[in-house]
Amino acid sequence: MSESRRRVSRGSQEESAAHTNGVGGRSRSERAADTGDEDEGAGPSGIHEEDDDPARRREIRSQYRDLINSVQQNREDMLNPANNKLIDVLEEANKLFANVRQAREAALDAQLLVLATDLGREKASQLHAEGSSFDPSAFAEHLLSFMGLNRLEEEEDDQEGLDGYLPPDAWQKLSKRAEHCFKTAPSFHYLLGSFLAEPPPPRQRVERQRKAPSKEAKRMMPTQLKKMEESHQEATEKEVERILGCLRSYYADDPESPISYYEFVVDPASFSRTVENIFHTSFLIRDGLARIYLDSEKLPCIAPVEDGEIEPSGNATRHQCVISISPSTWKEIIEAFEIKQALIPTVQMLTQEG
Amino acid sequence: MSQRKRVAHAGSQNRVPRVSRQVVLDEDDDGDASYTQPTSSQVQKARENYTPVQVDRKVAEVVQFILIKDQKKIPIRRTDIVKHVIKEYKALYQDIMKRADRIFEQVFGLKLVEIDAKNHIYILINKLQPVPGEPISMCPGNPKTGLLFVILSVIFMKGGTVKENVVWNTLKKLRVDVGEKHEEFGDVKKVVTEEFVRQKYLEYLRIPHTEPLEHEFRWGQRAEKEVSKMKVLEFVGELHSQEPQSWTQQYREATSGESSQR
Amino acid sequence: MSRPMGDSHKRFLQTLMSNGIISSIQAKALHRHCCETHGAHYSADRLDEFIDVINANLQPMFMYIRKGMSEEDGVQYYALVNTAETDITRMSSDYADNELELFRKTMDLIVDSENGAASSTDVLNCADSLQTKKMKKKETELVLNKFVQDKWLNEKQGVYTLSTRCIIEMEQYMRLIYQDLIKVCHVCHNVAIQSQICENPTCGIQMHLPCVAIYFKGRSDPLCPACNQFWAHEIPVVTCTLSRPPEANGEAEL
Repeated sequence: MSESRRRVSRGSQEESAAHTNGVGGRSRSERAADTGDEDEGAGPSGIHEEDDDPARRREIRSQYRDLINSVQQNREDMLNPANNKLIDVLEEANKLFANVRQAREAALDAQLLVLATDLGREKASQLHAEGSSFDPSAFAEHLLSFMGLNRLEEEEDDQEGLDGYLPPDAWQKLSKRAEHCFKTAPSFHYLLGSFLAEPPPPRQRVERQRKAPSKEAKRMMPTQLKKMEESHQEATEKEVERILGCLRSYYADDPESPISYYEFVVDPASFSRTVENIFHTSFLIRDGLARIYLDSEKLPCIAPVEDGEIEPSGNATRHQCVISISPSTWKEIIEAFEIKQALIPTVQMLTQEG
Repeated sequence: MSQRKRVAHAGSQNRVPRVSRQVVLDEDDDGDASYTQPTSSQVQKARENYTPVQVDRKVAEVVQFILIKDQKKIPIRRTDIVKHVIKEYKALYQDIMKRADRIFEQVFGLKLVEIDAKNHIYILINKLQPVPGEPISMCPGNPKTGLLFVILSVIFMKGGTVKENVVWNTLKKLRVDVGEKHEEFGDVKKVVTEEFVRQKYLEYLRIPHTEPLEHEFRWGQRAEKEVSKMKVLEFVGELHSQEPQSWTQQYREATSGESSQR
Repeated sequence: MSRPMGDSHKRFLQTLMSNGIISSIQAKALHRHCCETHGAHYSADRLDEFIDVINANLQPMFMYIRKGMSEEDGVQYYALVNTAETDITRMSSDYADNELELFRKTMDLIVDSENGAASSTDVLNCADSLQTKKMKKKETELVLNKFVQDKWLNEKQGVYTLSTRCIIEMEQYMRLIYQDLIKVCHVCHNVAIQSQICENPTCGIQMHLPCVAIYFKGRSDPLCPACNQFWAHEIPVVTCTLSRPPEANGEAEL
């Protein structure tokens, strides 16, 4: 970079600074004139020997950085209209600039100048306020009064002058009044159409499941029933319906007294029919058409679920359990519950038909 | 015949009149790739392609879309209107938007305002004023309006720009601490520096060359359209029991603002 | 577009936008206020015609002001509703996806229940099985609160019911989704969620509580209007409908 080009660029930079730097005291073009004479002495050869001295340059950069730092640290101080610190900084920078020969140092000078310009602008805006001044603290006090501050409790003002308390509707009250300054459009809120129309109706789902038992249910079927399931799928459905009918009629006869689950499913005359009954009854439970609950003695009871109260499947209150029964436990149950007769009549007739 | 007239009219409404020139890229906005200025022949063709019923439906959908986007007071971008609603009708964008604006005025008493002509960002403002004696309030009664009012008035009264500390200190005096969760506003800093900023009520800008980092607040583009400086000044005056005129500079700005908003 | 709207109509509409739903008493006062503010002709018995003008203009925008009755006290309300279900309407940002799923599940519980109500325990339990994004109990409570505040649900002592606003806007949706789970009131023929059911299993008609109160008022023997059997429910007293004083606070309490 030749000396003359550097000078030009420096000059234009200073010109723009001079425009915005009104408050900052001396303008930079003035400064350029000062330093100009000195530089003339450097001779026509261009870059002076000492310009390239790395130690000297390092020192200049370090001084610039210190200056920039001190400006950043003492921002508030710089802005205070009561002092001339900003001008002092600029004068300091002028002195440093006298020895600047290379771009790296000039860049730091520019950085400092931008900083000083911002501060100068801010300082100016503080000064030129016409008419009444506006003090945010006083404004806050007026707002507190408007919002209904209760200033009675003055004993408790331990913390930095925040005495009194605001009523719960304070901000609501301010908002109501402030709304008059706003031309806010009311907004439209709705629920219909904000989500997709799913899930399918719970009741339909119940019916569908009853017609086609899920794969899992099929897998879990006792082997001896699988055959029947395959050849008499419809029979299964009819059987489930029939058992539901039985349950409902027992329940209707005397809704008050609980129906013991074991008494209901166990056929004292046939172990296999007992297994079948347990199997078919499980559909009623799964489809939500009947429910099993524990009575006061913690024994399982069964009751039909009435139409209105069918629970959607997937409800968190549902539980699953596996019932296993062997011929010996079957006998034990018959004895313990003194079961004399099957509550579910035999299916002989039905399967023959199928 | 009347259609032709309308074409010419619509053309003159464009910011940059581009008659029969194929514009491939809308160079003025980067985030607006889904919209390119159609040529007048494209517009003409689109008008012939779609039935009035189809276009009516598009207009209604645009109205609906804008109302939905306004639920959270986030400004609406032209890109989104085109992408989500107008789609293949985009040659008719100008027609459709003009009609949507008419519906906002004639049915809802609202106005569609472009707050950013470069990026084509719109907001809705109200043409009706709240009046005393309402049996039920016309305004939603959001306590955040009070918070916003405090900040906007401090900025305005301090000449248009205010350092964040001034705002935080004022709020602290009003028992709203930026560092703490407020029971009505929640995370105040987030509401002020994110929500209000996204809604374009406020601008929250880094002050250059500050260490540690500092920010300042200004009025956002939405506030400039939606908030009346004169009304703010009147309310501030009311609070101080002082004439609005006594703040010479602010009063001058408010007066010029009123006339330009009309 | 049919009859153009004046500023009075626009003000009425804007107030409905802000409030979502207002009682008929509020609507009457608002009608008067709007007409007087804008110097429009006011006639007290023309409220429905006034609203018709707005509706004629709103309908093409998939919106409507619809009238409906509160299932709790029989008071008439006007609600501003959305009538479309499209990709655009699903962009509504009022609630997150899991919040909407919770609402749907709550609605399922309420519609499936016998008395048109769901306990907060049941609702909190179903929040565990949300598909979109699970919700903690505390969060669920906050969301439910928001639905109550926004007037989509009512809550009384830990029991949630569908609000009047919800029923007015969602009626068609509910009929479609729940089909025959949705019964109609024998008296007013509107959807009946909170209602009494005839105990006779072959009859099973339903009536809203306020409709029951009106229907059996002054009758010595409460018999089912359909099957003539004894109406085995407690008959609510008419607290009634038209002579109720306006709500003190201007807010529609649902």
